[in-house]
Amino acid sequence: MASTIPFKLITPTKVVFEGDAELVIAVTTEGEEGILPRHAPFLAALKPGVLRANVQSDGKSERLELATSEGFMQALPDRVTVLVDEALHFDDIDVAATRDELAKATDPTAIAFAQAKLRLVGSQA
Amino acid sequence: MPSVKDLRERIRSLKNTQQITKAMKQVAAAKIRRAEAAQKQARPYADTLSEMLRDLMAAVTTVDHPFMKPGNANAPLGVILMTADKGLAGAFNSNVIRAGEHFAAGKNVAWYTVGIKARNAVRRAGHGDRPTWVLNAPSKIDVAREVAKRVTDDFVNGRISGITLISSKLISMLSQKPETRALVPIVADVLPNGSAGHTEADASRRGAVEFAPSPEFVLSRLLPKYLEFTIFSAMLETDAAFFAAQLLAMNNATDNAGKLIDELTIQMNNARQAAITKELLEIVGGAEALVNG
Repeated sequence: MASTIPFKLITPTKVVFEGDAELVIAVTTEGEEGILPRHAPFLAALKPGVLRANVQSDGKSERLELATSEGFMQALPDRVTVLVDEALHFDDIDVAATRDELAKATDPTAIAFAQAKLRLVGSQA
Repeated sequence: MPSVKDLRERIRSLKNTQQITKAMKQVAAAKIRRAEAAQKQARPYADTLSEMLRDLMAAVTTVDHPFMKPGNANAPLGVILMTADKGLAGAFNSNVIRAGEHFAAGKNVAWYTVGIKARNAVRRAGHGDRPTWVLNAPSKIDVAREVAKRVTDDFVNGRISGITLISSKLISMLSQKPETRALVPIVADVLPNGSAGHTEADASRRGAVEFAPSPEFVLSRLLPKYLEFTIFSAMLETDAAFFAAQLLAMNNATDNAGKLIDELTIQMNNARQAAITKELLEIVGGAEALVNG
């Protein structure tokens, strides 16, 4: 069994995920960053993108993929915490509405988030 | 002395009022639970955000962010006044509005309002149409983002000299108090300090935290989020405090109506008894007159 680290994904309105992760990969402003257990203390700003993590559920390893907007990722020796404005599962994304959003959006962050949502849908469809 | 019929009418209308206040009380009790749950769900985010901020403040040397510098001194001070959308909650809204008036006295203030009552108060005071948002929006976080964006724009472009927030603080179910907080420019002591039990671990951790790309950059991203989230959590708190105030107000109203109903019922019974006695006396008097006649 791979070693794990407590992982939390938090938005202002709820805790989207809380559990043990073997690996967390998020898109920071500097590029993708993967966090394994026992990572050195680390704090980075995230840009909109697809967050991926290998998490444990019922002793089995599972892939977690979410479209996230701007936020932050904090890695400490004993936990990983990701704070984002929004985090959406594959099922939460309305493709037509997102395409609409993308066509209308002018703000670079909104555009990037819409693109991340479509990328997530594309990767699972 | 009012007639029995009048009294009966008044009691009936009071009973209707009491039914309404009782229903509103129950609704408020249910809603306060929901508002408190929303507050609770925002807690993890708040805690993590303050923790990150603490680490960053310890690591940065200089920050080139507009929020950390004094604003345009000649511009008015931006004040966000936050109330509920509705009344029927005792002095809840007027307390906040009065705190706002008190704060603004003698100052050059540019108002931003959240909540319909705040908007009306600012209009009534003759400040014209100022940016306004409703409190009870389907997505409070979106409203908070809009408010934050607007005041940030105005601050960065020198239209206001700072940002202050006046909103309600929920002290307990029985007590809510207006609270005035200066949000921007950020002074070091406004930021959350290490709370008890945290400080030891923090101190040992801080030196080694690695920031990507730099603590200054991460902080410049975090400060706007902090403003956004402060406004959001103030909205949640206003919501919870409003329902707490309404619960109390409706509870009192129901009690008062009950007392009044009791009083009027006694008055009505007295009046009815007096009328019966009078009628009896008239009959007896009439009968005696017949016998004697």
